[in-house]
Amino acid sequence: MQLLMQQLLNGIALGSIYALFAVGFSLILAKMGILNVAHGTFATWGALSSYWLVFEHGLSFWLALVLGVVFAGALGVAADLIAFEPLRKRNAGTFAPIIASIGIWIVLLTLAEAFSGPTATSYPTESVPTEPIRVAGLLLLPAQVISVIALVVIVTAVHLLLTRSRFGAAVRAVSVDPRSATIVGVNARSTLIAVAFLAAAIAGLAGILAALSDNNVSFGIGEALLLKGFAAVVVGGYGDIRGAALLGVAIGVLEVMSAQYISSGFRDAITFGVLLVVLVLRPQGIFGERQLVRA
Amino acid sequence: MSTTAWMITLQFAGVNALFALAIYASLWTGVLSLAPVFFGAVSAFTFGYVAGTLGLSPFLGLLLGAVLGAGLGALTAGLLIRLDSHYLAMATIAMVLIGRVLILNLPAEYTGGATGTLVPGDLGTWAWLIGTLVVAAYVMARLAGSRFGLAADAVREDPAVAETLAISPRRIQFIGMIISGALGGVAGILQSSFLQYIGPDTFYTHLGFVTLAAVVLGGAFHWLGPIVGAIVFTILPELLREPMGEYDRVVTGVLLVLIIIYMPRGLVDVRRLRLVRSRWWRPKGGGPEPGGPDPRDPQPVVRAEVVS
Repeated sequence: MQLLMQQLLNGIALGSIYALFAVGFSLILAKMGILNVAHGTFATWGALSSYWLVFEHGLSFWLALVLGVVFAGALGVAADLIAFEPLRKRNAGTFAPIIASIGIWIVLLTLAEAFSGPTATSYPTESVPTEPIRVAGLLLLPAQVISVIALVVIVTAVHLLLTRSRFGAAVRAVSVDPRSATIVGVNARSTLIAVAFLAAAIAGLAGILAALSDNNVSFGIGEALLLKGFAAVVVGGYGDIRGAALLGVAIGVLEVMSAQYISSGFRDAITFGVLLVVLVLRPQGIFGERQLVRA
Repeated sequence: MSTTAWMITLQFAGVNALFALAIYASLWTGVLSLAPVFFGAVSAFTFGYVAGTLGLSPFLGLLLGAVLGAGLGALTAGLLIRLDSHYLAMATIAMVLIGRVLILNLPAEYTGGATGTLVPGDLGTWAWLIGTLVVAAYVMARLAGSRFGLAADAVREDPAVAETLAISPRRIQFIGMIISGALGGVAGILQSSFLQYIGPDTFYTHLGFVTLAAVVLGGAFHWLGPIVGAIVFTILPELLREPMGEYDRVVTGVLLVLIIIYMPRGLVDVRRLRLVRSRWWRPKGGGPEPGGPDPRDPQPVVRAEVVS
């Protein structure tokens, strides 16, 4: 029982990171219509840049976290300006942004590999909170607590932002049709840039938290997140970030539990197997609504 | 590069061209799929196991790859073809990911697990490679003018319009996936035979993305495109490795973005060739009056956009 509870907590903490990443990924997919394969590298660069600030420049971890998040967001905006905006202008169709994002992915991953070197490192121990917290016989690491809190705060904030604010209304209008949104007075360009920044910044946060939890900063952080985040978005159904967040947590729990009770080797196969089954049985996702498309 | 290095690079270019043709076969019908990488992995490991335990003539090996790939393609299509484009693309990526986990975790006598497995190299010769490539290209070229080819073009441009022309998009996409599967299976077997060693990372996302990039670079609108693209995309990083070191792949990525923005139809673009020819190559007799509009000039195309 003790073990089960502990693993459940570990799963939720791990899943919170997946969920955070999934929220950003789903923002880009649902609101901008781009399947951004490069999204994982934003997370990687968030982690790498904050590590660099802490290790090379002796900044405090929290300041580095903020700057890392901003840097990841800036990368997202740059990707949008350089690659996705020209495609949008040219009406390039559905596949072109995917392919462009593969290009960005290759570039950012190669640079990350060169920047971080082949060996994995971690944040200097004295700079980050590591003292475990004990609650009712269960062990909680500070990184886990931070991840869960960050997820709750971010999901609530983004959900409220999208559903209750003028900006959210603008985002939804632009996601349906940028041109008609412009007619009713929405600045489609700046709205899209804001979404790109928000999504990439959240990815950066997820990357930093993943690096903190695993005690490991490497260029591979984003790749693992990308797959799990994608699975969460697809199974959760895109359009509603709460679905993606919930499924992200569920995938974390599923992963920890299957590693504990079934087989640690098949952990990923179980996750992606669930992904495939849901795709076949319920293509719109568990919480998704079928979208009507008029030609 | 030395001659040997060139030869090896060119051989991989040939195999990548087969993979690229496999991706092209489904993209032709409007389906973006990385599944050929998975089909290639399954065929390669099956080939490795069967050839290693029972022994298999090279021709039977290729046949095995084609049949296995086509069967898997049919199965995948049957399950997934009704998904929307984004979901379908991601589902095939998930297949590639699951493939790696399966290879790592199946009993070691079948796949060799993390250490990989050895594959007989008797298919890894120029004759088999070029022969297979010629056959594949010939089939694709003949298909281009066939009823299937025309239907596939129609389905890619607009499934709704295709349906009004009594074409069933699902059926065409189903056939496209089977062709894609057969090509992917054959490519996987040739790849494994050239390497003579296959491991969990041989058929992984990197191969999928590189070959997809090759299709885009070469041109996804003509069968020659994937072949040209694969050759360029395999040789270019090798050439860049010396001056650029570890940054060679940055060029690949930048190129991919630039091409999709400025040359979205790729290097082999038959439509552009025709336009250029009609502009410069006017027949002497029967040409249009000077000053008058040339009927062969590109007309502004009004496209109905699908609001989604």
